Amino acid sequence: MAASLQRIGIVICRTFPVILQRNIQAQRIRDWKTSAPVLRLNFRALSSSSSSSSSADDTDSTEVLSRYSDRPWEYLESEEYIERYGSKPVWSNYRRNHKGGVPPQKTRKTCIRGDKICGNPCPICRDPNIIVHYKNVNLLQQFISPQTGIVHDPIRTGVCMKQQKLLNKAIETARDCGLLFAQLPHVDYSKEDYSNTHGAVAPTPAPFSLSSGELWYPWYGSIKPDERELARVKRIYKDYLKPDV
Amino acid sequence: MLFTTSPSIPCGSLKGGSSIHRRSDIIYSMAAFSFTRCLVRSYFCVKCVDHVQTRLQTTTRMLCVSASRSSFVDAPKAQFTDTEVQDILSKITGLDLKKVFRPIRQQLTPPKYKLMTDTELEEAVRKAEEQAKHLLKMPPVLPERKPINDVLYEDQMLEGMDTAKYVFTDINFNVPHRERFIVVREPSGTLRKATWNERDRLIQVYFPKEGRKITPPPIFKEENLRVVFEQDRHEDVLNQCIVQFEPDSAEFKNVLMLTYEDIEKHGKYDLLRSTRFFGGLTWHLVNGRRIDGLLVDMLQRDLMQDAVRLVRLFNLVHPQSESAQQAQTQQAADLDLLKIYAQYESNRAGFIELAVQTHEQTKALSSF
Repeated sequence: MAASLQRIGIVICRTFPVILQRNIQAQRIRDWKTSAPVLRLNFRALSSSSSSSSSADDTDSTEVLSRYSDRPWEYLESEEYIERYGSKPVWSNYRRNHKGGVPPQKTRKTCIRGDKICGNPCPICRDPNIIVHYKNVNLLQQFISPQTGIVHDPIRTGVCMKQQKLLNKAIETARDCGLLFAQLPHVDYSKEDYSNTHGAVAPTPAPFSLSSGELWYPWYGSIKPDERELARVKRIYKDYLKPDV
Repeated sequence: MLFTTSPSIPCGSLKGGSSIHRRSDIIYSMAAFSFTRCLVRSYFCVKCVDHVQTRLQTTTRMLCVSASRSSFVDAPKAQFTDTEVQDILSKITGLDLKKVFRPIRQQLTPPKYKLMTDTELEEAVRKAEEQAKHLLKMPPVLPERKPINDVLYEDQMLEGMDTAKYVFTDINFNVPHRERFIVVREPSGTLRKATWNERDRLIQVYFPKEGRKITPPPIFKEENLRVVFEQDRHEDVLNQCIVQFEPDSAEFKNVLMLTYEDIEKHGKYDLLRSTRFFGGLTWHLVNGRRIDGLLVDMLQRDLMQDAVRLVRLFNLVHPQSESAQQAQTQQAADLDLLKIYAQYESNRAGFIELAVQTHEQTKALSSF
């Protein structure tokens, strides 16, 4: 009786933390999924009647899609964004959890692996409505210093490395398309010659043809060979010379 | 990898050709104001060929053509590189030190404070003005570069050897980019010189310039340009353009033209004032005979001297127009030029005359 009770106690003690952990994680995923206003359940309920909003079409039973996935810049003007962040950047109230005073010089690789989200996700991953897109200029501006124009380090903002890479790419595309300001170097035109007369870029000049009596090199005629040397060479190669030479 | 010149182009003739070109340039530029000078000058505006024979032929051809045209041309047409034209354009551009030296996005350093006497302060301001003049140097306005269609050799034996083109580039460091040989071996076996686009791309690959991309960025597409123009960021577009393209390429001229057209359509001349692009804008408008908008803008901002200089530039560039001829006959100066222009050429004559009159009145009142 006591042994069986003990065994039951051991089993409970071993399984309870696992169950607790699983419950906590499930709760976190549920919170993360429901915090995105997905009309999935509503759509199923109103399946017979036609729903007017076109954004209800992006329902996928396996994936969670945000309402703003088509136009991510609209989220930054919405009430829920202003209520949550106000006028501060999205990374202002985020704090990393790390041991010691100095944080690791690289943030985590990614917050979301498959279906699981980690504890304390980075400022972009914790809000599924924030989508990094090159047209989402207001969001991208929050991650660029207004004085120097340099992209903030992930250690400062707290974003995971995967989102930082996406950010860098989006900022570069936005600068290429002219949506963001890009500082360019001053171009100096004083040193270049634009006459385009060199043979490399102009039509090739016709080959140089000799007129009668003209020599290929002008000094051909002026140098006279030594008489003794000439006689010696002629004597040596007597058999090979032409008869008139 | 060094690339040797092909044996069909002996170095002697190239050197001889280029030295002849330079000597005649010096002689002709020093010559007096004469018929031959304007002829040869207009000839050298077009790119000249190296070979002596063809040059003589083209000179005789130009002589024959110009003889028939002499009745229409009274005075020579001013070019962008003339000292007088450059002088006028730089004066019109203005020198607003606050705009030229506005803070740019760069790595910040702590500010430096200096205690200066009045003379030192003037010296510092003078140095700043020199630096500003250097920063406001206008990008050159050049004729469009001729396409390169030169086949060096056709080798049927190499046909079908490979499916890709091979590009051979001369990467000697001390060769100017315009004298670099870049040749392409096609899969059909022809060896030809690379086109201008290919040249620009390959030179950017081997000798990358800061800010320039290998393929032009999408900002230069129509829809993106429209968005940027709506945000009034013409200067940024022009900066991107001069960094990306060569000044004699077609894309460069196209982007400049689109920007200038948009500015002129909306009258946003002040955006470019005191930048290095104002001269180019003025030159484009003067050549198109559409300086009314700019003139009205100047008069609204009370820039009478600039307006007078603009009309003088117009008369220099179009010497056979009515206002130029009238100005010549009457030997007009200052505000009379404006009146003559308003009378003969302008579409908004009323506004210009009114502005001139109000200015004269205010001047008369203030002098009392």
